[in-house]
Amino acid sequence: MSSLVKCPHCGLRPREEFTIRGEVAAPRPSAGADEATWFDHVYLRDNPRGEHREYWHHAGGCRRWLVLSRNTLTHETSDVVDASTLKTEGAR
Amino acid sequence: MTSFRIEGGTLIDRSDVRRFTFNGEALSGIGGDTVASALLANGKQLVGRSFKYHRPRGILTAGAAEPNALLTIGRDGRRDPNTRATMAELYDGLEARSQNCWPNVSFDIGAANGLLGPLLGAGFYYKTFMWPAAFWEKVYEPLIRKAAGLGRASYDPDPGYYEKCWAHCDLLVIGAGPTGLAAALTAGRAGARVIIADEGAQPGGGFLAEGSPVGGKPADTVLADIIGELHALPNVEIRKRTTVFAAYDDQVFGAVERVQKHLPENEINPHRAMERLWRIVARQVVLATGAEERPIVFGGNDRPGVMMAGAMRTYLNAYGVAPGKRVALFANNSQAYQTAVDLEARGIEVAAIIDPRTCPNINYAGKARLIAGAMVRDTAGRRAIKSITVRHDDGSDEVIAVDALGVSGGYSPIVHLACHRGGKPVWSDAHIGFMPPEKTDGMTPCGAVAGKAGIAACFAAGGVAAVKALAELGVMGEAASLPGVEQTAETVDHIQPVWRVASSKGKAFVDFQNDVAASDITLAMREGYDHVELAKRYTTNGMATDQGKTSNVNAIGILAENKRVSPGEIGTTTFRPFYTPVCFGALVGASKGMDFQPVRKSPLHGWAERHGAKFVETGLWYRSSWFPKDGETFWRDSVDREVNTVRTKVGICDVSTLGKIEVFGTDAAEFLNRVYCNAFLKLPVGKARYGIMLREDGFVYDDGTTSCLGENHYFMTTTTALAAGVLTHLEFCAQVLWPELDVRLASATDQWAQMAVAGPRSREVLSKIIDDDISNEAFPFLAAREVSMFGGRLKGRLFRISFSGELAYEIAVPAGYGESVADAVMIAGEEFGIAPYGTEALGVMRIEKGHVTHAEINGTVTPADLGMGRMVSAKKDDFIGRVMNLREGLVDPSRPSLVGIKPKSPSDKFATGSHILNPGDDVSLANDQGYVTSMCHSPTLGHPVGLALVKNGPKRHGEEVVIWNGLAGTTVTGILCDPAFVDPENEKLHA
Amino acid sequence: MHEYPLENRFAFPSNDAAGAGASINLAPIRDGFVFHVLGDANSNEVDLKQALVKIAPELGTDLRSPSPNQWFWVGGADVSDSRLAEIQAEIPEQFVLADQTHGRLRMVLFGASSRSVLAKGTMVDLSPEMFAIGQSTMTQIGHIGAMITRTADDSFELIVLRSFASTLWDELQHMAAEFRHP
Repeated sequence: MSSLVKCPHCGLRPREEFTIRGEVAAPRPSAGADEATWFDHVYLRDNPRGEHREYWHHAGGCRRWLVLSRNTLTHETSDVVDASTLKTEGAR
Repeated sequence: MTSFRIEGGTLIDRSDVRRFTFNGEALSGIGGDTVASALLANGKQLVGRSFKYHRPRGILTAGAAEPNALLTIGRDGRRDPNTRATMAELYDGLEARSQNCWPNVSFDIGAANGLLGPLLGAGFYYKTFMWPAAFWEKVYEPLIRKAAGLGRASYDPDPGYYEKCWAHCDLLVIGAGPTGLAAALTAGRAGARVIIADEGAQPGGGFLAEGSPVGGKPADTVLADIIGELHALPNVEIRKRTTVFAAYDDQVFGAVERVQKHLPENEINPHRAMERLWRIVARQVVLATGAEERPIVFGGNDRPGVMMAGAMRTYLNAYGVAPGKRVALFANNSQAYQTAVDLEARGIEVAAIIDPRTCPNINYAGKARLIAGAMVRDTAGRRAIKSITVRHDDGSDEVIAVDALGVSGGYSPIVHLACHRGGKPVWSDAHIGFMPPEKTDGMTPCGAVAGKAGIAACFAAGGVAAVKALAELGVMGEAASLPGVEQTAETVDHIQPVWRVASSKGKAFVDFQNDVAASDITLAMREGYDHVELAKRYTTNGMATDQGKTSNVNAIGILAENKRVSPGEIGTTTFRPFYTPVCFGALVGASKGMDFQPVRKSPLHGWAERHGAKFVETGLWYRSSWFPKDGETFWRDSVDREVNTVRTKVGICDVSTLGKIEVFGTDAAEFLNRVYCNAFLKLPVGKARYGIMLREDGFVYDDGTTSCLGENHYFMTTTTALAAGVLTHLEFCAQVLWPELDVRLASATDQWAQMAVAGPRSREVLSKIIDDDISNEAFPFLAAREVSMFGGRLKGRLFRISFSGELAYEIAVPAGYGESVADAVMIAGEEFGIAPYGTEALGVMRIEKGHVTHAEINGTVTPADLGMGRMVSAKKDDFIGRVMNLREGLVDPSRPSLVGIKPKSPSDKFATGSHILNPGDDVSLANDQGYVTSMCHSPTLGHPVGLALVKNGPKRHGEEVVIWNGLAGTTVTGILCDPAFVDPENEKLHA
Repeated sequence: MHEYPLENRFAFPSNDAAGAGASINLAPIRDGFVFHVLGDANSNEVDLKQALVKIAPELGTDLRSPSPNQWFWVGGADVSDSRLAEIQAEIPEQFVLADQTHGRLRMVLFGASSRSVLAKGTMVDLSPEMFAIGQSTMTQIGHIGAMITRTADDSFELIVLRSFASTLWDELQHMAAEFRHP
């Protein structure tokens, strides 16, 4: 687990300034999607050994939601971006 | 003073005499002493009893690794158990006590365990205290706890102040011995921000024990010069008495600084921390932690008077304390011979040097008799060593009379901090030790921790390491040139590993602190616990406060020897923080007592205090819960009166703690429409609407009102409990789910003092201070808008909403004016009999009215369960929770749903949490129909009323049920009913 | 009509000012305004500054950004309700402005030891070369969220939610005590 997170807006900050929501799951389905798709979105989460993408909220700083890519094995954080960029990119 | 204090000692100031007591005996030492050096100077070799066998134990080391000399130091709240005498600085008036002994350290009843030694081997506890199971809690555990355990914590609160602190640097140098000092000087001269931390009272490390000149200059002069220069550099911070105890991810290092623990009580500054917990963010690290000298495992190696050879040098050179009058050395390496040289230089007789190597390749030219190819196999002496038995290479034994034995079994690099992030140390046959992992990102181990020996070699290594670390930061540096460096010639000391003396007579200890003998390790192997991690847990080798600093490598060596493999194949146990124990005070820091967590105060806190409020903690907030008046002795006297006042006249309640969020943006309405399950798109300006937020899984998350204050401007209120959660949720929706919407959220909770003015006379009261027309026609139920107050002197926001069920308003004013406005409401309401009411009365009235709160919104209910199914929009395409709210299990009509509940006999009472059963059914959860979520005494109706979630509830109004309190074992007959006990037609609301 | 006294109560405890020679001082800032400006996704500080200079030249443009597209606009002048309404009406459409004068309180910590005091609360590196004069940031001081702005060499202004102000004040007093009573 990271001790410091490089917030794209605030710079290096300690873990306790953040709250963690969990894995970046499948994107929120469209209104008309079937129930199975919704179940996956709401309940299905991976618990990988290795690369993992999570939502972190910089609650003690800029209050932006971030997407943090970290390796659960090595604890290395490879990337931190503002979560709003996720949808614009159309990325999963 | 005593016979063991001799001349010299670079750390002590003989003019500064300090008195202290040891087990009640008055003794004296000298400024600069540790408790250990002072005890040794007083001839106190026996300082404690061992953990399991209660064997007499003495001081083994002169530093952090000490396994034996653990004392309880101080008194009352300032009492620290398990303090290493070798690290504790002596202050005037210090009180020290031995542990693990009763009635005293010289005569200890527990020592009888020593006679039972054969029965108390490895795994003893696992094998013995197995049955009967009932004995565990009542007999075995208390017995074991009493017999074992180390020191006892004080029951008194520690009066000292503790704190935490962050620090930042380009280069963190861990250890201020020759290596670290050279690194710090190199980086300091290059202009880098340097922190150099050392656990000792003075920087110097290996320097402090050095008796010989360095590069032709006295060692203490060389040290003073370096420290003088470091002090003069503004970019270098020297932290002494600071142990770096952990390496965490992202180059964060934990350290504890013992700021005032070395001071007598009358010199402690109460405004300064006793200890300070540092978190150091270091761009680069030079690890200069040195190496730990290893004991040798031989018979009777735990007898007081047996000491590490290097520790003897430290006591001699730094503290002017002779370890004995006739000393022998048992060493498998040549570095240790320096102890003999230094002892002889002070005129102390060195009786013999016993060296297992057949051809020790050394330059020793002293007087001591050198016994090559030999081992010490036993020691004798009751409370301290009197003689040793040497086994010669021809198999003969010789007894040599000594009063101290210096031991050196090689050197273990102190690699802990290089391994905390998961790195595994690497075995080196050349060094007979585990070296730091090959890959240590951002950290350069150097000096003795990397296998170097001698001050000159360490100087050179420190300089080179700092240059390398600086280069990583893009800074050019030049290794500091220090005395003796140019003469460095790499000499390899041929160490012959001796993991245990096979001919040992009697117990040969591996781990002194846990009383683990070589035979225990062999036993563990025989019983199948031969993996290093299992052997540790089975034997307890390497556990407790010293974590095996002097024992782990020997235990690994014995395992390796028995399995006929290299110690590298056995590997080490896992290194984890903390390197040495850190007291709870430092970990807690300032967060204790009233400072445990922040206190949030409402802007009306002072007003409520003036009216005698009793406060209740709600999260961080202090909310006024009731306002007792003279003559009211019981809380319900006050609460009943407050409810009656609101129902018949008028009351005022502080609701400032409700979460308040300003929602702006051109898509604000669309956003609200998506986060609430009911429709918000067409909420007109000047109107409030009750809204329910669902979670994406379809259950209710929170409720509250949102008002439209202008085009693209809404004002949302949340419950107090979920104020932070809702804002975070909305931010997630706005930033992650729908970043394309123009919606901007501002927390406004603290900007507004908000008060509910409720009761049939509330309009009359507010009319006196509000300039606008607030008649029912001009300001109907759910009206919401900015109003002018006090003849235009203040603007506020007025909302016609009601939690109590009465004609009611909430008025919000800028927080600073809150008290004045509350005072004004009280003055205006005086003629109507106004009274302040608190959260208790609020709770009673909402139950009477059938309004839900988080007692009902408990994470398992849908809007339909709460009787608000019709609010869930069927027209909206999308909102949070829409799809999952429709799934099969959530639309089942027999789900537990909201009903009112009252006792059949008005005098009967029932409790929240009680379960509902059908009459005649067995009293069992198998027949559960639901449960009571809230209840109170209704002063309006004169009997208890409650809300419950009951299967098919809304269809069962009027039905008789059993209310079962499983905890108390009681049942009461109840009647299910409409949850709105008061004004079910909402006539009061619209009055 | 009854004369109701109106007073803007201050949330800080009484000020226990240190002597002139103290290496640390803590003082509340009683006067002035804090406006929360929220811009749309394409807004920027340059545009905001230009607009403010035009609309309210008398209030200055001391802007501190807690988050992208958000600013706290602070100043020492007291702004009346009507003047605030004018500014809100005139500000360009891409910005909205919420009054936080009562919700967020300001105090100033100054003196040679100010960084040592703040290091007991925040992880942010406030050393002169890392945190320039005029720079500001949202962070946590202990458990309390606050905005730190460096206003001079050894001077830091803190903005904190009103409900936390007295706790933060007390905690800063504790953290500063060793420098006031050496």
